[in-house]
Amino acid sequence: MSLEEFKNRNIGKQNYVKLDLEHTPQTPLGRFSRVVRRTLKGELFVGLYVTLREMINALFRGEMHTVKYPLEKLPISPRYRAIHDMLRLLESGHYRCIGCGLCEKICISNCIRMDTRYDENQRKEVSEYTINFGRCIFCGYCAEVCPELAIVHGGRYETASEQRASFSIFEDMLTPVDALKQQKEYDGFGAVSPNADENIKKTPLAY
Amino acid sequence: MSARITTKNELTITIDGKVCHGIQGDTILQIARANSIYIPTMCYLTKVQPIASCRMCVVNVEGVDGMILSCQEKAVDGAVITTHNEALYKERQNIMKLYNVNHPLECGVCDKSGECDLQNKTMEFAVASQSFTARDMHRPVENWGFISYDPALCIMCEKCVHVCNEVVGDNILAISVGGYKSTIINTRPGEECSSCGECMSVCPVGALVSTDFKYTSNAWELQKIPSSCAHCSSACSLSYEVKHSGIGNHEKKIYRVTNNYEFTSLCGAGRFGYDFANTGAKRDRALFTSAVEALKKAEVIRFGATITNEEASILQHIKESYGTALVCDEARGYQKFLEAYSSVSGKSLYSGSLKNLSKSRGIIVLGSKINDDNPMVKYHITMASRRERARVVYMHPIEDAAMQSIVTQFIKYEAGSEEGAAALLAKTLIDTKKVPSEIAAYLDDLDIGNLSAESNIGEDELEKLSKSLIKKSGFTLVAGSDLYNHPRAESIAKLLAAIELYGDFELILVPPATNALGVSLICDLDEDKDGYSVGYNAPGDFVLSAMGSGDIDMPALNQQEGTLTSVDKRVVPINAALAYDGYTLNNLACGLGVEAKYTIDYTEHLPVVKGYEAVAFDDLPDYFDASGNEHRGYLLHSLDAEQTGTLEEVADLPTYDGGVVYQCNSGNQFTSFTNKSKKLGTDDKLRGSQQFATLSKLNDGQKVRFEINGVVYERVFMIDTSMKGTIAINPYADMGLSSTTVSYYRFNQPKLEVMDS
Ligand code: SF4
Ligand code: SF4
Ligand code: SF4
Ligand code: SF4
Ligand code: SF4
Ligand code: FES
Repeated sequence: MSLEEFKNRNIGKQNYVKLDLEHTPQTPLGRFSRVVRRTLKGELFVGLYVTLREMINALFRGEMHTVKYPLEKLPISPRYRAIHDMLRLLESGHYRCIGCGLCEKICISNCIRMDTRYDENQRKEVSEYTINFGRCIFCGYCAEVCPELAIVHGGRYETASEQRASFSIFEDMLTPVDALKQQKEYDGFGAVSPNADENIKKTPLAY
Repeated sequence: MSARITTKNELTITIDGKVCHGIQGDTILQIARANSIYIPTMCYLTKVQPIASCRMCVVNVEGVDGMILSCQEKAVDGAVITTHNEALYKERQNIMKLYNVNHPLECGVCDKSGECDLQNKTMEFAVASQSFTARDMHRPVENWGFISYDPALCIMCEKCVHVCNEVVGDNILAISVGGYKSTIINTRPGEECSSCGECMSVCPVGALVSTDFKYTSNAWELQKIPSSCAHCSSACSLSYEVKHSGIGNHEKKIYRVTNNYEFTSLCGAGRFGYDFANTGAKRDRALFTSAVEALKKAEVIRFGATITNEEASILQHIKESYGTALVCDEARGYQKFLEAYSSVSGKSLYSGSLKNLSKSRGIIVLGSKINDDNPMVKYHITMASRRERARVVYMHPIEDAAMQSIVTQFIKYEAGSEEGAAALLAKTLIDTKKVPSEIAAYLDDLDIGNLSAESNIGEDELEKLSKSLIKKSGFTLVAGSDLYNHPRAESIAKLLAAIELYGDFELILVPPATNALGVSLICDLDEDKDGYSVGYNAPGDFVLSAMGSGDIDMPALNQQEGTLTSVDKRVVPINAALAYDGYTLNNLACGLGVEAKYTIDYTEHLPVVKGYEAVAFDDLPDYFDASGNEHRGYLLHSLDAEQTGTLEEVADLPTYDGGVVYQCNSGNQFTSFTNKSKKLGTDDKLRGSQQFATLSKLNDGQKVRFEINGVVYERVFMIDTSMKGTIAINPYADMGLSSTTVSYYRFNQPKLEVMDS
């Protein structure tokens, strides 16, 4: 399903079909004759036929309507807030997070914690970063506040774990360097608006 | 209209329709702030003279064309002032736009983010877009050791320069003027400044930051614990800023120390020497029992003066119940000195305070290497020197290069001749016509020629001194630790009291250790004696130690609550910044039957007869008001004492020929607690001039062994080219427990043995 379809919520404007239902008989005779009619009409076999047809379609013609979870998963909406991903810069491959700590500050359930330090290149380095998913309520504030589009919600929505606390560290969430090409920009909560370019005001330059 | 009776000094102005009172000489901004009226500023720093570099503080004055800088304009009686209107807003908004030209967009990583004046005012004046521009340039970060300077972030407010010159007195920073290219420059990059970090604390943006703290935490993650500095008797107001140590360690850690930089200052030890906590202490019942047993059978409790008033009070209670002798080498001399002082002055406490010191117009420092002994006293002398153009007379056997920029007259006297120096001062400063006859007779009888020859203070020097102080009022005499353990200490104390009483001087007797004043007032101290002893931060048969080196642990001063008594005669609260799991002195006292639930239960019961107030710990205030008035704890009351003392005849002065060793910690070192701090540099060398080296036949880098007061020092000797004369300086803060056994005169002539290397 594409994003456009997902966003189309104009309920009420589709072409609904009104079913042509017969009136319920009012007299005992009328009710009796409806039972006789339905019994002899063979509607039961119509139903059995439909079931059989769909079974054949599903099994032999590849028209299955359910998925074999957990072997198969349905795609989820980009607005769904699942387990976080940490993205990298596409050009340099360096992680995007600058260690500003805004996600740590905004987190409503206090489950993000990070350590930073002054590194050899005179930059702020994120030396450790964890999210406790046992406490995360997937509110999406962290992804929204992140100025670097570094922390985003990814597609992993299975959060059951054996313990109440379940920590993820930076490396778990970070896009693997070799998977950089497959890294997708996040469209959901906190992403730049489609008309962002129009809103930018340029600083005048004297040169 | 106003019901107030206005004296000649007072004035009334109207700011934004509100009638405000002030006194002559107040600036418009000062009056506005005192009346809770907000005027935005970027370069104003209360503790220095108005800098007037930002123009944010502009206001309109009725009848005056154009805008007036409220930070430097003195208020005129009857003036009507507007602080906010459309034009002023536009003006200020434009200033903020200019500040933002090419300012790096790095709030995300900047240490200042969250408490940055530039961020705040940019938001306040709604600068959402930029209409000015300038060619950007490469401005690399400079590393000045413990501080780093990022010129790209600097807004050239000049606060750092002013604080370094006007408060610290080191004159390290200067402005390189060049329009948009202007930067702050470190004029002595190779040399060490006094590493106080004052410049960094007043920087409104992230241009000057601590290299050690840099990028380790955001300001808003840190919890501020207000407290007082534990390292010297100034007990400066500060906040420990704490947070968990890291992802894997939930224990709280102190990340940095901040202060109310608008009104107060800190020296390097206070700002950077915060990592002295006694960590890892545990409760061990058996150890507790043996500690209580030791205290029970102790004949002597020997302790250092880096303890709280409450702990001193507990020790005094133990003495009262068990008859144990209390020995505090750091405070005993001072206590006797104070007693002798009172016997002549008729008051229990000296009259001076730091605030008055900073407003003095004539200052004499006697018997202290004050820059090292108590930097905050030196800062206040600097303020007086810069603002009031005070005459500063520095009397000491050693010339101090660090004092050069503020001292107007250096009077050198021979080591050991402090009594003579005090007598000569009394003779010079007291007008014999205005004093009781016996004092006049005493002064007339002094053999000036002889005293002057023995102490090596020329009569011409004294004449110069008396001339320079003529026609000025507001004098302060600062006396320090060289005097308290001098063999003639009592006589000196009486002479100083006479100068205070009859010479129109305020006197400050700088306490020789953090809470030496508190201990002197609270404890009834005894002379040292033999017998089974318990040491508290001092040597003994059983040692309680907050340094972590004894038989049982005690909390350090950043791990407990209590109060200290400062040089300002102020009882100030300290709070626990870090957890402590071991036993406290109060626990041990309870084991002895001296019962109190908490240590701070003693705060209310500090001796009223010594000038303390019966105020509970939790009721002590701890803040500065909008005008910068200090509301921390309370001031001790100076009580009347009997004037039984008489001035003594000056004794024959001992002479010190040859090399002399002076006991003095320097470089932000005061005690074994500062020595424990890894953030401060170490000071463990014997330093002397070339002359001392020649005299003592030592070479630079040679290792020597010598003994002073039973403590053996093995030190590397270093020739210090900034020093002159025959006196070398020996630190003792690194001597652990024995660093508190300082009940002796600071100048000594030990036998220096060269050790094989
Ligand atoms: S989604 Fe919400 S609760 Fe979870 S880490 Fe982000 S801010 Fe915290
Ligand atoms: S908000 Fe983004 S850039 Fe800032 S610390 Fe969090 S993940 Fe990193
Ligand atoms: S100095 Fe202030 S405005 Fe500049 S980057 Fe740092 S926090 Fe942001
Ligand atoms: S640290 Fe202190 S002495 Fe050094 S430059 Fe800064 S203010 Fe001046
Ligand atoms: S370094 Fe900081 S205090 Fe100094 S001028 Fe620059 S902004 Fe002001
Ligand atoms: S505050 Fe007055 S000019 Fe800066």
